Amino acid sequence: MGRYIVGRLASLVFVVIAASMITFTIMHAVPGGPFDEEKQPLPPAAKANMMRKYGLDKPMWQQYVNYITHAARLDFGISYQQPTTTVTKLLAERWPTTMQVGILTILFAFGIGITLGVLAAYHQNSWLDNALTFFAMLGITLPNFVLAFLLILFFSVRLDWLPMRGWGDSGCLINIPGQREGFMCADWVMPVFAYALGPMAIIARFTRASVVDAIRSDFVRTAYAKGLGNRVILSRHVLKNALIPIITVAGPMIPDLLTGSIFIESTFAINGIGKFFVTSAFNRDYPMIMAIAFLISGIWGLIYLLTDLVYTWVDPRVRLGAEGSS
Amino acid sequence: MNRSNLHTKWSLVALLLVFSLLLAACPAPAAVGPATDDTTASTESSDSSDSSADESAAPADAMTTIFGETLPEDAAPYDEQVYRTACSTTANQTTFDFQVSVYSRYCLGDVFNDPLIELDKDFNVVPAAAESWEVGDDGLTWSFHLRPDQVWSDGTPLTANDYVATFQYLADPEHAWDFAWFYNGVIQNWEEVIAGELPKEELGVAAPDDLTFQIVTQQPFPPLPGMMKFGWTLQKKALEEHGPYYNSDPATSVSSGPYMLDTFEPGKLITVVANPSYKGYRPPRIQRMEAIYMDPGTEFSAFQKGEIDAVGYESLSPADLELVLNDPVLKENYLRHFGDFRTDYLLFDTFNPPFDNLDVRKAFAHAVDREAIVTNVYGEVKAMPAYAMLMPGFPSSSTKGELNEYQAYDCDLAKEHLATAGYPDGEGFPKLEMWLRDEAPALQAVFQAVAASISQCLNVEIEVSNKDRKVYTDAMNAKPTGLQFGAVSYGMDYLDPTNMLGIWVFGGRHSWKNDEFDQLINEATPLVGDPEKRDQLFRDAERILVDDVGGIFIDHRWQGTLFQPWVQGDCIREADAIGIMGEHWGNDSCVSNKYIEKH
Repeated sequence: MGRYIVGRLASLVFVVIAASMITFTIMHAVPGGPFDEEKQPLPPAAKANMMRKYGLDKPMWQQYVNYITHAARLDFGISYQQPTTTVTKLLAERWPTTMQVGILTILFAFGIGITLGVLAAYHQNSWLDNALTFFAMLGITLPNFVLAFLLILFFSVRLDWLPMRGWGDSGCLINIPGQREGFMCADWVMPVFAYALGPMAIIARFTRASVVDAIRSDFVRTAYAKGLGNRVILSRHVLKNALIPIITVAGPMIPDLLTGSIFIESTFAINGIGKFFVTSAFNRDYPMIMAIAFLISGIWGLIYLLTDLVYTWVDPRVRLGAEGSS
Repeated sequence: MNRSNLHTKWSLVALLLVFSLLLAACPAPAAVGPATDDTTASTESSDSSDSSADESAAPADAMTTIFGETLPEDAAPYDEQVYRTACSTTANQTTFDFQVSVYSRYCLGDVFNDPLIELDKDFNVVPAAAESWEVGDDGLTWSFHLRPDQVWSDGTPLTANDYVATFQYLADPEHAWDFAWFYNGVIQNWEEVIAGELPKEELGVAAPDDLTFQIVTQQPFPPLPGMMKFGWTLQKKALEEHGPYYNSDPATSVSSGPYMLDTFEPGKLITVVANPSYKGYRPPRIQRMEAIYMDPGTEFSAFQKGEIDAVGYESLSPADLELVLNDPVLKENYLRHFGDFRTDYLLFDTFNPPFDNLDVRKAFAHAVDREAIVTNVYGEVKAMPAYAMLMPGFPSSSTKGELNEYQAYDCDLAKEHLATAGYPDGEGFPKLEMWLRDEAPALQAVFQAVAASISQCLNVEIEVSNKDRKVYTDAMNAKPTGLQFGAVSYGMDYLDPTNMLGIWVFGGRHSWKNDEFDQLINEATPLVGDPEKRDQLFRDAERILVDDVGGIFIDHRWQGTLFQPWVQGDCIREADAIGIMGEHWGNDSCVSNKYIEKH
């Protein structure tokens, strides 16, 4: 197992480097640059100054080599969008907030999604199943930014129950002395719900389908024949066997949720890194685009590794890499 | 049993992990307390005083600004003079200072110093940081005389040396200023310094004494005072000690303007407070301004909740605007104004088919039913039909429809022109793609309507494609152009026709050339001493522009701001000479006039 993990981590380094090369090539192939000529073209000398300022006057390969050697030392350069700070510092400051949103969303989406899926499966074709199916379809089809605006209009503008923006800024149950942001706050409710509804609905649908399959299995029939109770059958036999397809679907959702959404963060004015995914591309903020490519490819690689490890825990028959063949 | 214990352990470990992750994720303590708390505190204190005493009985000093001015009778006490605006969470913002970057400024920028001049409500150039100016006998050397006693918030006197250092910094090749075209051909040696061919000390700026800032122009240039609306300065000392971004940190920020930086949390909140050492021409009544970050789509909701005091027209969706116009109170407080005299227009590559043919351009110009599009799609509250580049009211503009005939909607005439060009009833006309520059949905709808109007009239096929902003701009500015047919807008930089018409001179952003037009603009621009002739030259030039169809002019935008009823001040509530209310572009002293009414 240890060798397998080390091997996967080593291959992840190559994956990240390959992703960075592809990103670097594509971003430089797109027209425009980190300067604006919206009103009038810049005089040639001024444009040349711009290119020199951003290091874009050097050959592409040299720019890439420079970048990658600095990146190896975790120096991702200075963001064009925030020239007074480094990309590393910017991500270090803002990613924790995005992670908070993501972790809460994961807990909420997975917790409620799996519960609803199990309930629907156990009450197949009942009114409850139909209601949950309707709810799940709504969650899948309703984009989170539309839901976010609807929540704001209803709970914030009309009812005035919840703050319409911020993260940890108002209505906190726990205020930590010396900390600006609190914990368990009213302004957590709408972003997490809006962000979680889609994944929750997908997980609920997959859980339902997996549990329905498992319920019909021979081993469940045998368990009933042995006289085991519903709870034991559900937890030990049904759920555990239904988990593999759920993990396959839910695993890839985690990197997305941990790296934020521009829609959620922008709509609720959460100061995370979600916006950089879009603004860095719009503004041709090359250092930030590259750092995000590193971050995303790294997290995806790690989550896939984690998912594979979880498979072996859930189903001991699963063997990984060389371990399985030996 | 053991298995069950194992599960319980796993669950506990997982819970602990999640909890510690969340705790670890909490950001570091901030040095400054939340600005909103301060506001709440001040509001609460005033609320309690309201309950114990009559508002009018507030002590005199509660109604006096730190500059010694007594607030109007209907004003809220001074500690409640807080003006809150929205700031976009997705905007690209890097600096407070125009002189560092024009296109990526933080909200509440440009209040840390005063421009050399400003525009009054009727768009006249009036003194600001400079109390007077004159041009020398050579017609090239302009002297701006600074108001005496202006001082930076760190006690350093503001002098002409600050302006010299700032202008030299603007031309510094290392700076690579994003607005470098602005002084091209204007300030002596500008291009040479930018190109690194001359040292920055050779730039045509000087400080013969502490209170005189001189600019030497390349040729006589009458609009120069108007351009000094952008004549802001950085502090020479801070620039040298802390670099150009010194204003992005409350510890190093210095201000000679009406406000100074208080809270700086980009993405959350920026607050500025009245600068007690301010000695300039626009001491503010508002004690504190807050820029609260939010998505533009939620601004109207925040306004409805009373969390912000104003919303710009760009953030009002068509549905929001309809709601505003149907509500008497909101409607009364939606103040429409000229903004930057922005014109939306179509542009094309006139050096290649099919737009190298004047008849094709004329056909397209006459095929746009502007009146119907403005009435039914854009809305008359947001725009007026355009038949030329200069919005009525702009200097040298056509105010009585003198130029309307050249591009007025006339489908039959349009068809005739297209037939003359060799495309009877659109036969054989190539399919076109109309590029848009990352337009918002409301403007996409306008240009879709424009394309539909042309298509229906001329039986030609036009696909509208909303492009990434930089992809569009790159194609537009390329030489030769990469843009065959597109839509774009332009708003003024300074109030002179040489600005709005000068962009049509060959070599700029447009792929159109008319020697007579270029000659007229080049003759009019430096003309001194004969304003009537200068005005006529610009009018003649614009006639050529619309007749030769350099562009097809669609609409002039009415801009506007929706204010809360409690935001008062003559500069927004009183009409200008032609009856337009609202905060006018360039009228920077409005900051000293606005106040918050008791509410």
